[in-house]
Amino acid sequence: MDRRGFLLGTTAIGALLAAGTSLAFAQDDAATPPLTDFPRNETLIINNPENPSTNPSNFNMWVAGNGSSWSNGLHQLVLDTLWFIDPDNGLDGSMYNELATGPWEYNADFTEMVVKLRQGIMWSDGVEFTAADVKYTVETQIANPGMVWSAPFADAIESVDTPDDYTVHFKLKKPNARFHSLFTVRWNGAWIMPKHIFEQQADVKAFDFNPPVGLGPYTLNSFDPNGGWYIWEKRADWDKTAMAEWGEPAPKFVIYRSIPNNDKRLIEMVNGDLDMIHDLSPEGMFALANQDPTARGWFPGFPYAHPDPTLPMVIFNTQNPMFQDNRVRWALALMLDPLEMSMASYRGAATLSAIAMPPTGTHTDDYHGPLQDYLIGYELNTGKQTIKPYDPTVGQRIADMVRPQFGESVPTEEAAIHKSFGFGWWKQDLAAAGELLEAAGFTKQGDQWIMADGQPFKFTLKTFPDGVINRLGTDIAQQWARAGVQATAETVPDIFGNELPLGDYEAAMGWSIETWGGNPDLSFFLDSWHSDYVAEPGERQTARNWQRWSNPKLDEIIETMRVTEFTDHDANVALGNDFIKLMVDEMPVIPVMSFNVFSAYDTRYWTGFPTAEANPYANIVNNWANSKYILTQLKPAG
Amino acid sequence: MKAYFFFALKRLIQLICVIFAGCSIAFFVSHLSPISPVESIIGRVSGQSSYSPEAIENLRAALTEMFGLDVPLHEQYFNFLRRLAVGDFGPSLLAFPRPAIELVMLALPWTFGLLTVSTLLTWLIGNVAGGLAGYYQNSRLLKALGILAIAIQPIPYYIVAFMMVIIFGFFWPVLPISGGFAMNVRQAWTPEFVLSVLHYAILPAASLTIVGIGTWFLGMRALVSNIVTEDYVTFAELGGVKRNRIVFSYVMRNAMVPQLTSLAMTLGAIFSGTIITEQVFSYPGLGSLLVTAVNRGDSATTLAVSCIAVIAVASAIFIIDLLHPLVDPRVRAE
Repeated sequence: MDRRGFLLGTTAIGALLAAGTSLAFAQDDAATPPLTDFPRNETLIINNPENPSTNPSNFNMWVAGNGSSWSNGLHQLVLDTLWFIDPDNGLDGSMYNELATGPWEYNADFTEMVVKLRQGIMWSDGVEFTAADVKYTVETQIANPGMVWSAPFADAIESVDTPDDYTVHFKLKKPNARFHSLFTVRWNGAWIMPKHIFEQQADVKAFDFNPPVGLGPYTLNSFDPNGGWYIWEKRADWDKTAMAEWGEPAPKFVIYRSIPNNDKRLIEMVNGDLDMIHDLSPEGMFALANQDPTARGWFPGFPYAHPDPTLPMVIFNTQNPMFQDNRVRWALALMLDPLEMSMASYRGAATLSAIAMPPTGTHTDDYHGPLQDYLIGYELNTGKQTIKPYDPTVGQRIADMVRPQFGESVPTEEAAIHKSFGFGWWKQDLAAAGELLEAAGFTKQGDQWIMADGQPFKFTLKTFPDGVINRLGTDIAQQWARAGVQATAETVPDIFGNELPLGDYEAAMGWSIETWGGNPDLSFFLDSWHSDYVAEPGERQTARNWQRWSNPKLDEIIETMRVTEFTDHDANVALGNDFIKLMVDEMPVIPVMSFNVFSAYDTRYWTGFPTAEANPYANIVNNWANSKYILTQLKPAG
Repeated sequence: MKAYFFFALKRLIQLICVIFAGCSIAFFVSHLSPISPVESIIGRVSGQSSYSPEAIENLRAALTEMFGLDVPLHEQYFNFLRRLAVGDFGPSLLAFPRPAIELVMLALPWTFGLLTVSTLLTWLIGNVAGGLAGYYQNSRLLKALGILAIAIQPIPYYIVAFMMVIIFGFFWPVLPISGGFAMNVRQAWTPEFVLSVLHYAILPAASLTIVGIGTWFLGMRALVSNIVTEDYVTFAELGGVKRNRIVFSYVMRNAMVPQLTSLAMTLGAIFSGTIITEQVFSYPGLGSLLVTAVNRGDSATTLAVSCIAVIAVASAIFIIDLLHPLVDPRVRAE
């Protein structure tokens, strides 16, 4: 063989190898569902904010770490559980009885809970849903450690019985007036498993549950084998689902598209290929509002964003000796300029909160508004003087600051300003901060603060790798540095997965307060703040008391809450007030603002979305499971 | 022939040693990650409810056992070597219990297709244009091309990619800017699917090609510029041999050997994916898979991608070594 022949031969072999790869590819994909057309007036296209699923064909989301997406429509449109709660007003109040016919029924000492289930609800394969499914869900997960709800079930439940097909009776290991919250979905919850499907599997953890059989009004139509998109189709028997109580979901098809890049989400919406965006950057939202006449955010104008019931804050590791004195924590709070934080992070589109409560949903009416007098009158002794650190004009000042740029889109009414920008925040007072540090034994050498043990006051503030929290953390570290504290910002990729729970930080940006939003009850985050749950240094802290802070007064509040009915509004608000005032005194975290999410939607193809000003019936952040109620309110545009 | 056999045997032993060392290093490096998949999953799951410390400990023990991480590192290493021989990298920790190799095989065709086409296209255009520019040094058109190549080459790739997204996705929205194919097309070897894949590949392939051509162009131009001063080229010109024959048969052919070597190595590196392209265009492929695996601490998938890259690059170099004595008459097996 000459060289020319040799080269031709090797090229041919290479081509054959490539063809072989292609053949394998084709065989793998033979099972992909058939081509379907999706008329735009029957199809809602939603942005899945997560990266493409790493295990696209697996729908068994009860297995921890299975890699299936939590925002691809499965738990929003297909799965179901006993109750839902919305961080906003809801269609008829924020609580929804879903598979349950009414609220939970506890016995007198909260050691038993009975649930009555709806009759006539069908799984998507035509089998009736009964109490046996609930019992199977609980017992299967307890028997299989490593399933998502296994540990909380095993922790709380003594036994589960089904006196009849539509009644479930739980006996609990200890009094717990919040047990029902395991089956209450705000973003996620203990989804009910189809017993008749899973009981046929030898290993429920290895089962891929494909196609998924659900209780929601949609079933799987098709999905991208690469995890980029999922298409769901309305069930013909959608009226046999619990959601039918709220009306027929309008779209025949719902598509969830994973578009991790912010700019491309914007482009796709402007091009008409996306109806709902989960989140944009502030600049992206401003650009969208300018360029797309049919697109808008939660608010009709500035600041556009939906305030999530989470509260970005400075979290101190209170097990670190540096942060154990509340005077030091207060001093660091008084070094911060709220207007600068608002501009640096959200370009002014921030909803500030001076108290440990996100200014969202019903909280502004339950807590923020009523507490204004307390905050205005709050006094702080610096060791040399008593000051009133609260500035109730901050919201107004931010509105005035952004008005020259955003003009008429900035609200002018006081109530609207409070909803959009918050009520007030702590005044920046470097002199008072210095007095507090001196009272704590610190000294100032030149421009730098020195701790009582003679070491420089020096620490790292860990923050997100990008986005508004990254900007906020960087700005706060810079403000402290200007005030003489050697603080530096450091970005980390998975702050909630590693640094915060493992206590591997000195100070961090994140949130340890996350509420229901539409209800004043604080159990969603506060129950795990009990001192019984505070981990030893170096060990994993249970969610969410990342600051590892404990206080006897706090334990009292939590213990009272555990035996207070969830629906007792006044009692829960009173407990919430006690909590907020304790947090003001102690400042174990510095609350900054709500996590404003620049969710956008386009009315080109669909109308009826919830809005802040006229119809705040649902959280517009579309990967939350309760966003499914939006589908019942939509109508095709024209 | 005997000399060639011993030469090949020596290279084969080297290949096995390189693969063994490369995969072993990949194993230990992937296990040095500060991100624990077990802790990440606990963080994600326990955030949904109040977990007591005991409950967390139980979950940690269950996940550690489920992922096979409950044995010492050296035991994990020997298990890894045993499984490597049969191409089994164990279950992915970010798509449990799916085997990591399945994730790789799902991502591989996308990267392979995109990079093979764009690399070959880039190589062909860059070398032909660069060869002509090196020979016809007075051509204005080719001089202009040289200036363009010098101007484009230093631009970071991601700038070019983002510019293409903005131009063809926003200002003149004629091309898809994310994904591998259209949503309403069945993924099978039908003309409709192939056309859709090609449509979706235009922007990522074009961005790779624009940046890549410059490198090949400048390299080839430099090589040819040296060769044209050789005596045999001068004699051929004086002898009246046609210029096209001189360019393609004498000059460029002799300049091809290092370019072929580089091409083979570039094609070998395809198996490690192209991270930036796949991130910018949300293109399914090995690069995206690798980034996700690293971010989530999935050592099994990271290892699968890394080891396949090691094997592919080492094999490409091995094949080049074997081919050199056959392709280039100036190289002889010792």
